[in-house]
Parts: sequence; structure tokens; C-alpha cells
Amino acid sequence: MEYARMKFYCDEHRCIECDGCSVACAEAHELPVGIARRKVITINEGIPGKEFSTSIACMHCTDAPCEQVCPVDCFYIREDGIVLHDKEKCIGCGYCLYACPFGAPQFPREGIFGAKGAMDKCTMCAGGPLETNSEKERHLYGQNRIAEGKVPVCAAMCSTKALLVGDSESVSAIIRTRVSSRAKGASNPLVWDKAYKNQ
Amino acid sequence: MKKYLYMFIATLALASAAFAVDSQIWGEMRIQNILGYGQEESLKLGPLFTMLQHHYFAWIFLGILIGVPGAFFLHYKIIGPKVFPHSEKKYYAFNLYNRIIHQIAAISFIVIVPTGFVIVFGDFFGGGMFVRFCKNLHGLFTVPFTIVVIPMALMWLKEALFNLDDVKWFMILGGYLSKEKKPILAGKFNAGQKMWYWVAILGGITMILSGAFMFFLDFKMEMLHNLTGMSQIDMLRAAAIIHNVMGFAVVALFITHVYMSMFAIKGAVQSIITGYVEEEEVKILHSTWYKKLKNQGKF
Repeated sequence: MEYARMKFYCDEHRCIECDGCSVACAEAHELPVGIARRKVITINEGIPGKEFSTSIACMHCTDAPCEQVCPVDCFYIREDGIVLHDKEKCIGCGYCLYACPFGAPQFPREGIFGAKGAMDKCTMCAGGPLETNSEKERHLYGQNRIAEGKVPVCAAMCSTKALLVGDSESVSAIIRTRVSSRAKGASNPLVWDKAYKNQ
Repeated sequence: MKKYLYMFIATLALASAAFAVDSQIWGEMRIQNILGYGQEESLKLGPLFTMLQHHYFAWIFLGILIGVPGAFFLHYKIIGPKVFPHSEKKYYAFNLYNRIIHQIAAISFIVIVPTGFVIVFGDFFGGGMFVRFCKNLHGLFTVPFTIVVIPMALMWLKEALFNLDDVKWFMILGGYLSKEKKPILAGKFNAGQKMWYWVAILGGITMILSGAFMFFLDFKMEMLHNLTGMSQIDMLRAAAIIHNVMGFAVVALFITHVYMSMFAIKGAVQSIITGYVEEEEVKILHSTWYKKLKNQGKF
């Protein structure tokens, strides 16, 4: 049987760079200062028509490069495609960061002489390998909302519903509907033409 | 050599300030890093590192870990060690300073090499506490090696320069493939020792620098970015590749160095402990040097 693959998608026509996803994530998982599992970036800033914002975190790649390079094999990919890692196995070597196209893995400095601690990244609110919803899991990985049947907090909080999460087919179905019903270009809505052009 | 030392010191100094300045990996640079990943005109270091680390590095290290000692085991069984009488005259070749510098480097290597293997085969050891501890030791014991690498480079530089004797030495592989005790052309250091000198010094400095990159991770060195045209993340990827590839050479020659001093030439290790080399050993294995010492009336 084919399982659904969970994916994030940020609709750049809707993202308004409010940073709500990033703040919601940090609050929900009680992340330490300096760690941001999710971040909003703006590309082509200041160039009219080309500027857009999008929200990035771990993209839960199908062929996750982080999982391929880890020397201690601390990564595992769930049947639903969520890429998770075992923080108690992780040695904080940094290889996953070098392999990652998105710069998702982060390393809080801890231990002797400020060595890199265990890696931290987005879990798609699915916790880790420890007992589901245990105190230890919450402490190490944050909330396990997936186990509770809830949407990951970033997408749930997104005010414009730019950030979507779910099985890849449902997500692309939503995007397809949005694209096909959209007027030409977000900066030049159809109604403006109607209102002002033929005067 | 000095240039590298300054670069290393600058790395250390800048790394401590790195937390204050904007991150080169998770800050504004992150956009360029994402857009640049695997681009046609780039070096494609991200995919390259992933491919090498996923398929090759651990296997090559395993090959070296089994292959090099395996070859020496066969050499020991088939050709056997060279045994020289140790009752003859001795010559004081390594003073206390030489020996202390060497011993500090030796202790560093004895810790750094095995802990490096533990990291490479981290999945075999199950990760967690033990491998993390080894990773910390791997970094910690770099400090004494970093302190002695320049003094060691300077104190043996003159003897480690290659000359014509070395061509002849390489042609017969230092006479290690025969049981005969014919005088072999070599100065204070033979070609094999010289090779180890250069790999340990230049390779060692490369390992220190690439290792420091990976340890400090997020810092900004404008000069280096301009020089290489690479972003911080690409430099980290390059450092990881260089650290592994250079590791092959350093580890292979380190095992050779240990075998030669501990097993292949019986009692040779004593010379770096006491400082005295045996006349018989010098006469056969370092004949050019022996002639020179004899002329000076040292034996």
C-alpha cells in the first residue's frame, strides 16, 4: 500500500512575511534563544513584481540528504514521510547541515568548550523516537501534535493560509485550485483594471 | 607556515565574536545558500559532499584500517622485522626538546586517530554518549598538536628536504622487501620518514584548519570569502571533504610510522624515547648520515 507523504508548501502569493509561523513554532515547542526551526525569508527584496516571501524549515525531503550523511545514523523517515532524528544518538558533528539544501539543522552550543550540541530541527510537530507525548519527548523535541491529530502549529497559525501541510497530493490539489482561479499576477488584480482602466 | 598560523589564530579570535555578528548560515546568507545549492555554475559541493559521505568515506577508511595493517602483518610474517644488535656504540641524535615536541604530537595522534575512527564508524558504536565523548576528545587533543606542529616543522625541516638519495630509496622501497642487511642510502631521515614528515606537518595543518572550520561552524572571515569566492556553508562542505580525504593519507602513514618504529625495526622506538640511535641501525638504514657522522668522529 502507498502511504501518503507529508509535505509543507508555502504559497508565495499569500505569504505576507508576518513571521507568525516562526513565532508560533518557537512558542509551542519552547525553543531556546537562538534556535528558529522555521524562518520566513524574502527573495528579490525591493524589486517590484519579483519580490516574494516564503517560509522555510526542514522540508522533510523524500531522499533526505541529512539521513544519508549522518555518521551515527540518528535519522529515520516515518512511513508518512516525516524526517525525524534521535537527539540522544546525535553527536552534533554538523554533517547534516552541510548536506541540507535548506540550512535547516541548527546546533545549540553546549557541553565542553562550547562544542556543538545535539542538532535541532523542525519535526513537523511529530516529536521524536521517545514515548509519544512523554515529558522527555516534549522536553527534547517539543509538542507531538501529529499524535494528537492536530495540524502542525505553524500551518495552523498561518493567518493567510499560505503555509500548507498535509499529504502531498492534497496540498498540491489545493495549490492547483488556487493557481487556476487566480487572476493575472498578485500585484495587478483583475478588478483594478475593471475599476480604473477604461475611464 | 606562519601565514597558516596567523590564519588559525584569526579563526579562533573571530569565532568567539561570531555569535554577536549576523549568522553566515541561518541569517541573511541563508537565502543565497538555498538559491546557490547545486547550481550549474557552482562547485556543487552540497551534492558532492552528500554523495561522498553517503557512499565512500566510511568504506575507504575501513579499507585503510584493514588494508594497511594487513599488508604490514604479511610483511612481518613473510619478510620479518630487522633486528640489530643494541650493544654497539650509540649516537645522541634527539635532544630533550626534540623528544618532548615529538611526544606531545605522538600523544595527540594516539587520541585523535582512534577517536576519528569512532566518529567515522559512529553508527557501529550506536552514537550517543560514547561517540559524543570521542568527538569532544578529537577536538580537545587537537590543541596540543596545534601547539607543537610549527616547532616540529622547524626543528626537522632541514633533514626532511628531499634529495637524490630518496629516489634510490624509493626504487628499492628502503630495502624493506628483502631480508639482506645492505647499507641503504639515506640521511638522518630516509625518504619514508620524510614523506611522513610532510604529510604530518602539511596534512596536519590542513586537518587543524578544516577541523577548526567544522568546530566553530558559524563565523565570518571576509578575507577568506573574497579569496575563495565561496559562501560559509560551501567552505564548511569543502572543509568536510578535505578533512576526510586528507585523513586517509594521515591515517595510512601514521599506521606505517607506528609499524616501522614498533615492529619492523626491533627497538627503533627507543631512539625517540632515550634520544640515542644505535650504530648498527644507522650504518645500514641511514648510510649517508653514518658516513657523515663517522667523518666527524661521532662513532
